[in-house]
Amino acid sequence: MKNLIIIIASFLFSILFYDRAIGLNLSIFSLVTIVFLVIYNPDTFKNKTILLQTFAYVLSAIFVFINHSSLAIVSNCTAFFTLVGAVSQSSTSIYVQWFNGIYTSIAGFFHRNFDVNDEAKRVDFKKNIDYLHMAKLIGIPLVFITLFILLYKNGNPIFNDLVSKIDFNFINIQWFLFTILGYYLYSNISKPVQVEPATSIDLKTGNELYQSNDFSEEKLKKEKQLGTTLLGFLNLLLVFYIVTDLLSMSSIKTTVASELSNHVHGGINTLIASIIIAIGIILYFFRGDLNFYTKNKTLKNITFSWIALNIVLIILIAFKNQIYITSFGLTYKRIGVHIYILLTLIGLITTILKVLKIKNLTFLFRRNTQVTFVVLIICSMINWDSHITKYNLTKAKAFDIDYLINLSNRNAIMLNELKEDLTISQENKNRIGTKYRSHMKDLSQRNWQEWNYELIANLDKFDKTKN
Amino acid sequence: MNVPRNLAKSSLLASIIFWTIIGSKEFDLDLIPIVMLSYIPIFLCVIIVVVGSICPFYWSAKNDIFTKAQIFKTCFPYYTCIAFGLCCYGIFASDCDLYFSAFCISAYITTNQSWVWFAKEDKITSILTALNNKEND
Repeated sequence: MKNLIIIIASFLFSILFYDRAIGLNLSIFSLVTIVFLVIYNPDTFKNKTILLQTFAYVLSAIFVFINHSSLAIVSNCTAFFTLVGAVSQSSTSIYVQWFNGIYTSIAGFFHRNFDVNDEAKRVDFKKNIDYLHMAKLIGIPLVFITLFILLYKNGNPIFNDLVSKIDFNFINIQWFLFTILGYYLYSNISKPVQVEPATSIDLKTGNELYQSNDFSEEKLKKEKQLGTTLLGFLNLLLVFYIVTDLLSMSSIKTTVASELSNHVHGGINTLIASIIIAIGIILYFFRGDLNFYTKNKTLKNITFSWIALNIVLIILIAFKNQIYITSFGLTYKRIGVHIYILLTLIGLITTILKVLKIKNLTFLFRRNTQVTFVVLIICSMINWDSHITKYNLTKAKAFDIDYLINLSNRNAIMLNELKEDLTISQENKNRIGTKYRSHMKDLSQRNWQEWNYELIANLDKFDKTKN
Repeated sequence: MNVPRNLAKSSLLASIIFWTIIGSKEFDLDLIPIVMLSYIPIFLCVIIVVVGSICPFYWSAKNDIFTKAQIFKTCFPYYTCIAFGLCCYGIFASDCDLYFSAFCISAYITTNQSWVWFAKEDKITSILTALNNKEND
């Protein structure tokens, strides 16, 4: 019965994806996969973590249909691996779930083929002999019959004519191979496997830090002195940098793009180096017994003030980036800077939590990767091309029309609607028109598997395009 | 470790997969001699890949404590993930060229199965010994 479900799912896989681009099919595939996983692992779907991962997967599937962007597809694939990994073992860190999910999806068959207990093995071994015999029974005669047909073909013209008339074109072998691929994938995820010893090590590793046996107050006192001095000076240096940065900001000319660009990119480079070194130094000092040293209050306060100053640095960069965006419009790189700033801010907050609640390095990795996953899902919910186009054409002080035209076709309809209100050359208006027509033609030629929200929302425009 | 037996089985498997994929798109009976001859380069490729990338794991790590099964469980997941990544990259970089895709897919499946065959050698030997003992009893 369960094998039949895999066969049905693999046929569905072929119907959805064979010779088709991504669209509605990926969303349907996600729903089919969830139903499939529930059928094969009903008990695991009572777990809250798995329900949450399922929700994230459904959400990403919906936004593949709505936004139809590469980011949405990437987030859907990530959510798929996370869910499969969570079904395999829900209590592990998210990065181990990714690893388990990828491993299950690509090599679950080989793992299970090997990983069976000896009793089952004895039965399977006999079965394997049968399979081998069956393969011989079909394969060897097939090879020899083909060989002899080739030989006899040249010896007898009537036989040659008869053989030439045999036409196997009605069989689509590629479709059949694609269905096997679907069978392989569904067979793999039907019983998710775990990567060992990575999974068991992760399960054993907690988030708490414990005092070691060789706790030495004298040693810790020296380490605390070193930390306080180092972080104290770094605090002063950062204060000085922030003051000078504030002064330099007042002299920025918002009309000169290159100047703004230099300020933002220079600031980002400083930020990257500063944050990495900051977190590295903090992790070094708070790696062990210094967390349990009773006289570590000063060091902790200096650490928190340094993190706070780094947050101020982040805010300054965000402010500069925002000035850049307001003056010259949105671009993917500028959005990327904002997202990087957000992730850095969250990284610093988790570092504060690590020091405050005496957590270990694993805690940082776990929380930060979870946050990255959530940010990825949220980012995939936004139609960036459309937002960039709308913002640049309606709110930004200046815009680069070449950049907007060269974006993906997802802004073609909006550009076409707004082109008459824009003060751009006729050549650019023609380019927008060409982009629009090519996009509409592409949409109108799509099969149901490739549909997306944009196509359904603009069905009325197809007739106009044809006219 | 029975390397020659593994190489023979792996190269046969690789040939079947490689030509099944190619045959699914363009099949001509006149290609049969080429299919037969192609076993030689495929065998060479299999030797290079299996001896160069799988055998070292078993040779270097196998001892009385660390069995083949443990080597498989510890190293295979990382190997297969890297191999899968490289094969996917190869397929996309070649713009889904039929011959190169067939090469990558057959290489991926063959190396995975080769890992399983090596790891199973101990188990199969022990099962056969157990069956023989039972028959003798």
